Parts: sequence; structure tokens; C-alpha cells
Amino acid sequence: MTTDLKAKADAFTEIFDSAHAVLNTLADGRFADVRERGIHKFREYGVPTHRDEEFKYLNLRHLNESAFKIAYGATVSRGDLSHPIVGTDAITLAFVNGQYAPELSSADTLPDGVYVGPFDELPFEVDQAFEKQFGRVANLVSKLGTTNDERFTYLNQAFFADIAVVFVPENVIVERPIHILNVSTANLGAFVAAPRAFAYFSANSQAKLIESFIGLTGDYLNVPVTEVVLESGAIVEHVRVQDETLAATHIGTQAVHQDASSSYTAFNVNFGGQVYRNDLNVWLNGSGTETRLDGVNVGTADQVMDNHTRIDHAFPHCNSFEVYKSVLRDQAQGIFNGKIFVYEDAQKTDAKQTNQALLLSATAQMNSKPQLEIFADDVKCTHGATIGQLQKDALFYLQARGIPKAQAESLLVYAFANDVLARISNEAVRQALETRLFDKLEVA
Amino acid sequence: MLVIQNLQARVEEKEILRGISLTVNAGEVHAIMGPNGSGKSTLASILAGKQDYEVTGGSVEFAGEDLLELDPEERAAAGLFLAFQYPIEIPGVTNTYFLRAALNNVRKARGEAELTMTEFMKHIRSKVEMMELDPSLLSRSVNEGFSGGEKKRNEIFQMAVLEPKLCVLDETDSGLDIDALKIVANGVNHLRGEGRGIIVVTHYQRLLDYIVPDFVHVLMEGRIVKSGGKELAHELEAKGYSFIEEELAAAR
Ligand SMILES: Nc1ncnc2c1ncn2[C@@H]1O[C@H](COP(=O)(O)OP(=O)(O)O)[C@@H](O)[C@H]1O
Ligand SMILES: [Mg+2]
Repeated sequence: MTTDLKAKADAFTEIFDSAHAVLNTLADGRFADVRERGIHKFREYGVPTHRDEEFKYLNLRHLNESAFKIAYGATVSRGDLSHPIVGTDAITLAFVNGQYAPELSSADTLPDGVYVGPFDELPFEVDQAFEKQFGRVANLVSKLGTTNDERFTYLNQAFFADIAVVFVPENVIVERPIHILNVSTANLGAFVAAPRAFAYFSANSQAKLIESFIGLTGDYLNVPVTEVVLESGAIVEHVRVQDETLAATHIGTQAVHQDASSSYTAFNVNFGGQVYRNDLNVWLNGSGTETRLDGVNVGTADQVMDNHTRIDHAFPHCNSFEVYKSVLRDQAQGIFNGKIFVYEDAQKTDAKQTNQALLLSATAQMNSKPQLEIFADDVKCTHGATIGQLQKDALFYLQARGIPKAQAESLLVYAFANDVLARISNEAVRQALETRLFDKLEVA
Repeated sequence: MLVIQNLQARVEEKEILRGISLTVNAGEVHAIMGPNGSGKSTLASILAGKQDYEVTGGSVEFAGEDLLELDPEERAAAGLFLAFQYPIEIPGVTNTYFLRAALNNVRKARGEAELTMTEFMKHIRSKVEMMELDPSLLSRSVNEGFSGGEKKRNEIFQMAVLEPKLCVLDETDSGLDIDALKIVANGVNHLRGEGRGIIVVTHYQRLLDYIVPDFVHVLMEGRIVKSGGKELAHELEAKGYSFIEEELAAAR
């Protein structure tokens, strides 16, 4: 048993031993200790098994058997990028297998004080924000619940190369979306990559963040970590698109801190990956915040899609609203775990969580687990989960109007999923994702 | 156009239609009246092709075809339209998208060219006005959050756009105030005439003041127990369904 666990972590230790010297040449070795701590922590846990509560339904055994190398040196040309999200107008910061790719990034004149670029010589104000929060958002220090299982956050910490940094100063409104584009290609063999992003939105700023993970070829492991900070009054819409290859494993952490009166809206849209997992953790760090977490998963073949979300309501008068939808076909498997913690002081919390799955075959399955833990008495918290097939009445109604059954079915499936996408405020982004949804569902 | 012969149907073990015969010719308006639970919606739904019912006997011929052999969409393509008693809400599908998809499928079946969005919008304009539909309803999801009256007007609007050969209206009058009733009746009367058959299913005589039928049939316990002209509707209004029950009892 112990040797077993040790063997698991050892595969990644070997990768670490061969890679950390190169990684530490980046940023003048500033993150050498951070990486050491990362691999050390990961080794304590190893690759999870079904005995680990937070990975109960997610089978990751294949990670022990794969021969991953650290990602290095791959290049991609613009012509290889046909994904509709890549075509949307945005301030673009691109990475290939976790390494900064200036050739795919856009050169823009940004509003005064706004920074969108790789971690490098950061302007003073940006460096201060970075220094204060980097690594602290990703690791949740909470008072409630079982400790967060952060092993893959540590794995990222061991392996990250470049860092995407976004900074918006106080009172600045950035109109164009800011796009952190992560491209993966395993044409040089299986690899592990650890994209890392840090986005800081100062008081009363407003911005739209797109984060995409686009897979081109092959088998790889992506363990991205994104930290997002909203100072008081900031308004941020964050669209996270996961469209890895159908051989890839993607295990992400998306950690958010919201100060008082800020508003954070997330759309997590997942089409790709053989195995996909994301932990979205939102820490509410002041009163009067608004949080909206929406998700769409479209799984076919034997894809596995696992969304864990966690909202810590630590202050009074905060609202959170969450809708996750999954469309599962063939042998696809969906997993949802939604934690909402309402702390003793968090009176007048209004939290609503909904999880809906549409199963389009008898072999598709969904495991849904809401987890509400409430320690304040004057709160409104609700959750609901539905797992079902297409509504027969609606299907009949469409057919009775002359729409053939197959077309009626795909129309209803599309409508079910698109209900979430329809709320994305940027029209080009919304349309790009609708196009992809259409394509994946093979809507007639 | 429509020939129903001795139609029998049940749900699970329950006998609902016990031998219905009815012929509708082009240009005729038939009213089917009957108390709640007598099988009116069942008959209408079976005509449209709803799967919940098991047809245990009889036949239905529509425009020379065996209707019961067709899928619901094939029936619509052949020119049959059911205005639902309870129109279905479909979140995420806009009314315009839905109706254009419907129209283009029906047009394809008729051998007509499909309409572009622009042509479609032109095609429906006068019908939106006729049904006094708030144009914002067109870009909303099908029936979602519509009031009862809006749903019913939307049904007749769809009917006007699709221009079917046979219109079956299932209690389109229920829940309508007098103004909405007149709008609905006006929409139906517009479609009335040469080449088109209409079946109006209703519980009350009120709608028939505005859509004056050529024939009235009384449906009770799964059978057409009495047929007559429009005056039969007035008689029912004055005396209630019980007078027919008494007549039937006396005849036995
Ligand atoms: N899907 C169904 N399942 C079970 N019973 C049904 C179903 N549809 C209709 N019925 C029963 O059949 C009878 C006739 O119903 P319906 O056709 O709706 O009558 P009407 O429209 O005349 O009020 C009623 O007793 C009703 O309860
Ligand atoms: Mg009825």
C-alpha cells in the first residue's frame, strides 16, 4: 500500500527531477522554492483513487501508467487554430503547452495601467498585486468543510513555466475581452503542462476575461491553475472554454477572491477532454457581492466531465446563483459536486444552485451531489438537481408542427445547453461558442 | 378530406374512444362538443399522432392516406394542424426559429422553396397583425412565460402561417376573455373556406357565435351521440348536456 502510493508520486517526481533545472531558469529562479514545495506537497498525496472523497467518481488510474514528459519547445502556427473562439476579437495572450507564444498573441495598445502579458518585468503596481496574492488565492484557507483537496494545484505549482498576468487598475473599464489562449499539442509525444494565470481586477474596474484550452493533437495532461482577484466593486465576466483533444486529461483549478460589492460571473463551457475535471472555488471576502457560476458540458463517446464548485459565503448580504447543465451521449459520464458554505456571520445570504443533466442514451450517466453547509440562520439557500431525458411533450409539439423527429431532438438538446450560453454578454464570444455547440451536437 | 370510421382507442387499460365515425369535407366547419372527460382531446391528439394512445380499432383516412400510419411530422406535412389545448413551453428555442423551421419543413413537403429569414419575416407580418401579437413574442422562447391568451393566439398564428388543409382546434376558447376570443375567431374565419376543413373542439357554445359551424356533434363517453346543425349548439347551451343523456336513456 505505501509502496503503491510512493510509486504513484514517483512518476511525477522523476519528471520533476528532470525538469526543474530548466524551469528554474525562468524568471531568474524566482519560483524555485515554490516549485519545490509544490512537488513535495503533491508527493504527500499522489494520484488520487476512488477512496479519496473528492475523487470518488473520477478514475485517474491512467495517470500512473502514462509516460509524460515535461512540455517543452512545441510550436503552433496561426493556421492550425480553427477553433471559433480563437477568431473572436480580443486582446490575446497565447501559450503553447504552458509556454508563452508571442507569435500567437496580439499586440494591442491597452488602456493606461492595464497589463496583459507574461510574467516578466512587471510594472510596479502590478508587481505589488502579484506579490500580495500569487499562490494565495489558489490555496484555500477556509474555516469550514473538510480541507480542500488541492493536490493538482500543487502539481501545477511544481510544473508551471510561464504565467499569464492580467491587471486592470482602479476604475478602468476594458471594453474588449481579454483572452488567455492555451493551446496544447502533443505532436512531440505525451507531456504534462501546467498553464498558470493570475488575473487581478482593482477596485471598481470592469473587464471580460476569456480563458480557453484548445487541444490540437494527442495525449497529454494539462493541470492549469488560474487565480482571479476582484477588489471591491469590480465587475468581471469570465468565460472558460475547455476543448482539449479527446485523448487528453485536463484537471484545473479556478480560484476566485471577491471583495465587497464585486460581481463575478463565470461561464464554464466544456466540450473536450477524455477526462476533464475543474475545481472552481470562490471565496467571498466582503459583503454585497454577486456571484454567478454557469456551466455547460457536452460529453460524447466515453468522455468524463467532472465539475466541482465551491462557494464560501463568509460575509453577510452576498448572493450566489449557479446553474450547471450537462448533455451526455453514448457512454459519457458527468459528475457534479456543488459545495456552498455559509458561515455563521453570513446572514442574509441568498444562494441558489441548480444542476441539470440530459441523458441521451441508456449508457450515459450522471452523478450529482449538492453539498450545502449552513451555519447562519437568516439565509435563503436552495438547490435542485434533475437528471432526465428529452421532454416527450416538447418533442411531440415540434413534430406536430412538421419538424422531423431527429431535427426536433437536436433542437431541444441545443436549446437546453444554449440556455446557458445565451447569457454570455459578448456577442462574438457567445456566437463562437454556439457555433461550437452546434457542431458538437451535430445539429441538423 | 377526413374520414374517421369506428375509431376506438384506449390508454393503458382504459377505454376512451368507443367507436367514432366522422367525415369532414373540404370547406366544412365541424364543431365537436362534449362534457369534460368525454374524449375530445384524445380524439384530437390521436389525429395529430400523439403516441400515448393505443388505437384498438377503426380507421382514419386523410387526403387519401392512412393517417394512422404517418409520423406526426408527416401528418403536419400532409396538411394537418392541431391547435393544442395546452401549448407546450420550449425554453431556449425562439418562436421565429421554431416557426420558420416548421414552415420550411412543410413547404419542402409541398414541393415549395424554403424561405430565407427575410422572406419569412415578410410572410408572417400580416399574420402577426391579424392575431394582434406583441412582436416581442416572436423573439421570445416558444410559449415560455406567455399568458394563457397569448399562448392560444400563438397557436392560431402558427396555423395561419402554416396554412394547413385541416385545422383541429382543441378548446382554443378556454381561458380567453371576449376580446381575445374575437381575435382567435377572426383568425380562424380567415382560414375558413375553399379547400380547407376545420374541426372546432369546445366545451361551450360561446366560441360558436363567432365561428359558426356547419355541423355540430356531441361527444359523450367516447361516442358521438348526436349530430346536427348549428342550432344543436344553442340547444345544448340552453338545456345542458343532461338533456341528451335523458334522450339517450329514453331511447334505450
Ligand atoms: N394520457 C392519459 N392517461 C390516462 N388517462 C387519460 C389520458 N388522456 C386522457 N385520459 C382520460 O381519458 C378521458 C378523456 O380525456 P380527454 O380526451 O382529455 O377528455 P376531454 O378533452 O373531452 O375533456 C378522461 O377520463 C381522461 O382522464
Ligand atoms: Mg380536452
